[in-house]
Amino acid sequence: MTKKKLQANGLWLLVMIVGYLAINLLVYTGVVDSFIENMLVTIGINIILATGLNLIIGFSGQFSLGHAGFMAIGAYATGIILQTVPTVGGFVGSIVVGIIIAIIAAIIVGVPTLRLSGDYLAIATMGAAEIIRVVINNMKITNGAAGLFNIPQFATWPVVYVLVCVTTIVIVNFAHSRAGRAIQAIRDDEIAAEAVGVNPTKWKLAAFVLGAATAAIGGSLHASYIQTIAPSDFGIMNSIALLIIVVLGGVGSMTGTFLAAIVLGVLDTVLQSFGTLRMVIYAVALIVIMVFKPSGLLGRYEFSFAHVLNRHKKEDAA
Amino acid sequence: MHTAMQQIINGLSLGSIYALLALGYTMVYGIIKLINFAHGDVYMLGAFWGYFIINKYHVDFIVALLSAMIVTAFAGMLIEYLAYRPLRNSPRITALITAIGVSYFLENGMSYLFGANTRNFPQVVKQHNYTAFGINISNIQLLILVTAIILMVLLQLIIQKTKMGTAMRAVAVDQEAAALVGINPDHVISFTFGLGSALAGAAGVLIGLYYNSIDPLMGMTPGIKAFVAAVVGGIGSVPGAAIGGFLIGLLETGVQAIGLSAYKDAAVYVVLILILIVLPSGLLGKNVKEKV
Amino acid sequence: MSRLLQVEHVSKIFGGLKAVEDVSMHVEEGELVALIGPNGAGKTTLFNALTGVSPATEGSVTFNGVSLDKKKPYQVAKMGIARTFQNIRLFHQLSVRENLQAAMTHRYKEDFVSSILRLPTFTKKEALVNGWTDEILAKLDLSDVGEMITANLPYGTQRRVEIARAVASDPKLIFLDEPAAGMNPEETADLTDLIRRLQSEFGLTVVLIEHDMSLVMNIAERIYVLEHGKLIAEGTPAEIQNNQAVITAYLGGGIHV
Repeated sequence: MTKKKLQANGLWLLVMIVGYLAINLLVYTGVVDSFIENMLVTIGINIILATGLNLIIGFSGQFSLGHAGFMAIGAYATGIILQTVPTVGGFVGSIVVGIIIAIIAAIIVGVPTLRLSGDYLAIATMGAAEIIRVVINNMKITNGAAGLFNIPQFATWPVVYVLVCVTTIVIVNFAHSRAGRAIQAIRDDEIAAEAVGVNPTKWKLAAFVLGAATAAIGGSLHASYIQTIAPSDFGIMNSIALLIIVVLGGVGSMTGTFLAAIVLGVLDTVLQSFGTLRMVIYAVALIVIMVFKPSGLLGRYEFSFAHVLNRHKKEDAA
Repeated sequence: MHTAMQQIINGLSLGSIYALLALGYTMVYGIIKLINFAHGDVYMLGAFWGYFIINKYHVDFIVALLSAMIVTAFAGMLIEYLAYRPLRNSPRITALITAIGVSYFLENGMSYLFGANTRNFPQVVKQHNYTAFGINISNIQLLILVTAIILMVLLQLIIQKTKMGTAMRAVAVDQEAAALVGINPDHVISFTFGLGSALAGAAGVLIGLYYNSIDPLMGMTPGIKAFVAAVVGGIGSVPGAAIGGFLIGLLETGVQAIGLSAYKDAAVYVVLILILIVLPSGLLGKNVKEKV
Repeated sequence: MSRLLQVEHVSKIFGGLKAVEDVSMHVEEGELVALIGPNGAGKTTLFNALTGVSPATEGSVTFNGVSLDKKKPYQVAKMGIARTFQNIRLFHQLSVRENLQAAMTHRYKEDFVSSILRLPTFTKKEALVNGWTDEILAKLDLSDVGEMITANLPYGTQRRVEIARAVASDPKLIFLDEPAAGMNPEETADLTDLIRRLQSEFGLTVVLIEHDMSLVMNIAERIYVLEHGKLIAEGTPAEIQNNQAVITAYLGGGIHV
């Protein structure tokens, strides 16, 4: 059992390293030009944001529509700090500051609202994110509605790649531990979960806070990669764009979130040449996929080396 | 005192638009538990229909309003038939994403076909301002208020007094049980979409007259505000939606009047969250406790 | 024997309706007590009041010498009271194993860092929890379905899993709310055996709501009878069977047998 888990973990590590080297090679040989690199980075940032949202929605069953608000906190922490401390240290520090503020904000938002159910929670978290945005819109340090420009670029694709790996490991391991079992129990039946000693408020908040923290990381990367941010980048529609990735991939499937982020990223890049028609095609694609695959591309399927190894073992034995 | 009264008049005008929109949200939610994200875009369709028919055929306000209501009613029923009906038994979040897809489709489809620019809504009713006791009120504001109230009274009559209204209430309580006593839920749901969309279409024409400008993205923000109004009122509750709409309208104009217009959206959401913390199902919503 | 549960003058009022009225009862450690009564007598309401799901309006409850008043359901569970539900409430998207382990979260600590980094302390804890789970699965004949998603299991098995989950939370006292509902005679026989084993093998105190009178008379050591929210009788199965008030309650007023 343990040995197989070690093997599986080793395989994952291998995948991460090979992926890194492969992209590096493609960049080096010029197969990946700046256009495609831009697409890869966008996909990476969306994965960071959407896996955190999937933890909240798919695993803890709390319908949050305010993810862009926490992303904004990370983005502005990085934007503001990098303007005074434009160093790698400043960048790392700004990510940490963003995470801390996002955690505090998530606790302030989560404690009163997480007892709301379903759509009421969605609308309350959406409202909270809008309040964050309006506040940023009216502050001096954030330069109001105009936003921040010329943010130094530290979030190159290797940085984004590494952080995609790190946040995914954190979220997936969280979801497959004591905490993960508690939040999934609450998702399936809150009354029964409480009856077996699970404190719903505490665990819902834990998932919400972790999701918010990773959203802040995504925001930091976004700010330092795009180099320009404005409050309008973090509105309701941006939260919804992340929700679309989660639902399209399959609520509760992290593999699905990866797949959906990649599919939508590629689709977006391919459709660039269609001009105004782009969003029409995107909308139709979205409706068609939902109508024909109502539980998302992968449903609740999760790819796992451990399972693959197990299956091989069984087949060998048979 | 005068300014306060003035703001109340302005707030009620804006609020009646939100209320008309919120009614559509709340009816659809009440019956199939779907946040119909495309509802604000149906309102946009109504405004564009009014723009088109007034410019092209020089019809008067009543014709523009009624025809817009008919057109949007059919648009709403068509959207329900094509996009939502196939998902009747799917997870609710899937239907929500589809609704967002429909919203994107309507916004961008209109931009693609007719251009994304803002255009002036034809002033089919000449604006007059009346002053009484130092308060300004325009005939358009009166028209909006009166039309909205007439429509709400009609809606209440339809829901409470007609056979279809009874069927709607039955399906909202229990779709399967309603089907067992001979109600066709598909018809009722379709009718509900038609009714809600007609109100949105009317709101579209009214806002065109009031603000004098329309564009394909005009439904986004009022759509979300109206949804917030429906939630504040207690989603699923028809009178709640009307109250919520007026409340949000008054709040927005009030915050603007005291010089905090930059914070008017934040104020709406603060009130939303406070109301939900105190009353988790809104002002008039039923707080159904799960049976153990 | 020591007193495990003491219920004193508990009432539960919904609006104007007194669903439970001035109920006092007690359960000794290691006992197997049944709570019976006609439909709507307030049995489940009483369970809900005792477990904090829907707190009592009046009265007090003491468990193992500690007051349960104003305790939330999860706190009650941590103190050692587990329950099953009338309409099965499993974590339907999770496997049987995960259902059991979700009930064990308060039995051990696991810190964030070691679980994220899969440190040896994490692996050790998981091995411990898997050990507990395997033991319960084996004892309740559920080893074969351990990895199955509970939503896909047959009804009788789901009931068994719910009891296993309650056991997994390591209780002293277990409330079973109509465990035999919807079961065929064979399944009921298995269940009877299982409830006995909860008492003998797991050392649990059992309080049971049940409509199946043969089951109740067969295993209960003491019976409380509730009607219209009030206790109308208490005694051994033999005493209850001959109690005139109970016979009237069950066969309806006005009819004399």
